[in-house]
Amino acid sequence: MPPMIEVRSLYKTFQVTRRRPGLMGAFKNLFAPERRLVTAVDGVNFQLQEGELVGYLGPNGAGKSTTIKMLTGLLVPTSGEVIVDGFVPWRDRARYVARIGAVFGQRTTLWWDLPVIDSFELLQPMYRVPPDRFRRSLDAFVDLLELHEFLNTPVRSLSLGQRMRADLCAALLHEPRLVFLDEPTIGLDVVAKERIRQFIQYINRERGVTILLTTHDLSDVERLCERVLILDHGRVVYDGTLVTLNQRFESDWSLVVTFAEPYTDVNLPGLAPARRDELRAVYAFDHRQVAASDLIQQLLPRFRIADLEVRRPSLEETIRRIYDERLLLPVQK
Amino acid sequence: MYLRLLSIQLRSQMQFRLSFWFELVSTGLLSGSYFLSLALILERFNNLAGWSLGEIAFLVGLIETSFGTMDLIFSGFDDTYFSQLIHQGTLDQILLRPVNSFWQILGSRFLLRRIGRIAEGLIILGVAFSLLDIQWTLARLLYLPVVVFSQVLTMGAFFIVGSTLTFWTVQSIEAVNILTYGGTELMSYPVQIYPPWLRNFFTYVIPFVFLNYYPALYFLDKPDPLHFSRIAPFLAPLVGVLMFALALRFWKFGMDRYQSTGS
Repeated sequence: MPPMIEVRSLYKTFQVTRRRPGLMGAFKNLFAPERRLVTAVDGVNFQLQEGELVGYLGPNGAGKSTTIKMLTGLLVPTSGEVIVDGFVPWRDRARYVARIGAVFGQRTTLWWDLPVIDSFELLQPMYRVPPDRFRRSLDAFVDLLELHEFLNTPVRSLSLGQRMRADLCAALLHEPRLVFLDEPTIGLDVVAKERIRQFIQYINRERGVTILLTTHDLSDVERLCERVLILDHGRVVYDGTLVTLNQRFESDWSLVVTFAEPYTDVNLPGLAPARRDELRAVYAFDHRQVAASDLIQQLLPRFRIADLEVRRPSLEETIRRIYDERLLLPVQK
Repeated sequence: MYLRLLSIQLRSQMQFRLSFWFELVSTGLLSGSYFLSLALILERFNNLAGWSLGEIAFLVGLIETSFGTMDLIFSGFDDTYFSQLIHQGTLDQILLRPVNSFWQILGSRFLLRRIGRIAEGLIILGVAFSLLDIQWTLARLLYLPVVVFSQVLTMGAFFIVGSTLTFWTVQSIEAVNILTYGGTELMSYPVQIYPPWLRNFFTYVIPFVFLNYYPALYFLDKPDPLHFSRIAPFLAPLVGVLMFALALRFWKFGMDRYQSTGS
């Protein structure tokens, strides 16, 4: 079976006009604007198989939105190839968009002044969904997302979390097989986030919807995605499972020890505590060099210990290190 | 689909009843007071280039009614509003739906308060009818709505062109506003009062004179002081359809080239 999304050597270059400061600068800009080419997407390759749920990560300005816009047909690439579900998105946009769903966390697709339910019902003729089929999905999604309480409320009066749930529902009513979710949990509290994650998981697992999820919230990714694509400076720097990513880059584990009585010298052979206060000491170590169990075995005969804890860095820290230290070079294909 | 979108607009605007009536009355009053001042001046001078108060009222009433109707139907293509659609990314949302974007934009805004201006136009027309003794033949009765329709189409065409231009300019273009709003103003008066170069411009370049002035000559049985062709009063529908078709072409051209922003 051909992949759901196929992206090959995708490039997008924008021309930006640089503003010169000051009055003279403004004057110069009027006659000879200084133009610069900015490459937002710099040779991206990837594939998504049907039924996958893939996290698309990257710092601001890495080219995530630009990629999504090319995949949804809103932007035409400078060069490269995109085939989604057999379509070239920007070429046959009108027919293509009927087959996909998209949620942009920052803005709503619903009609601002209308009750939620009216917005939904407008989508049925728009996407030409058979009425009974539409009714069935609507009922199912309203239950799953618990939309009952505010179905008759105008969109403008909804809380952010409610609005996001309504938007998710709207994006799925025409039963697309592929959905783009751009920051679907942005600005939400923990409970609202969890509800949305459960729903995303449901449509992926139970309904087999392919999902490309852009997010800044790495707990979304940890909870939902097996595979991630990491973008940096317009290039894919990592394409693989989260597990592998962790193994490769989580070097700074730490061992937190609470001693039962005060000791003056708590140094371990080859490892000094990174931080120490009173009874507690934190040892930083590289789990690829030395195993946590070895450290514990060395500690136990020498000290009386009240508590032990092995800490792994969060995915967030790992990813931040990848960006900051530029640990990854673009994936070559 | 367009009708569905329209009904939504109507429903949501009805929600704010008080502000709706207030705006409606104020829009009507604003343009009404402008005509009143014109009437007062005319009272002093009796006529303007051989046109009586009633005849001027006919010109003003007709074009005001049309402009109000156009403004109502084409609210979505008001260039200030449209450039916001682009900036706020709403146009992207529209493009993500499998319905023709032209109809979606037309259906995205339908400012009921423009009825104020239509009402004002109709009242002025009423004044004109009471002051004048128009010989209503069947042909004239049938042609009147055709003229209104042509005027609406032409003004709508300029709205569409103005919006399409914002694809490239980002901001709205004052030059186009001069043609739409200024054009309405210009068509409110008999063309003899304008210098020849201006008259020629609005005859051969942007044929506004065929939309209001010449049809008015026909309805009012007035001779053409410029001795233009006898068919001049009946060119309005041709102008309307032609302008609108050109505007749609241009719109499609702009839309095909539209690119969203990178962020």
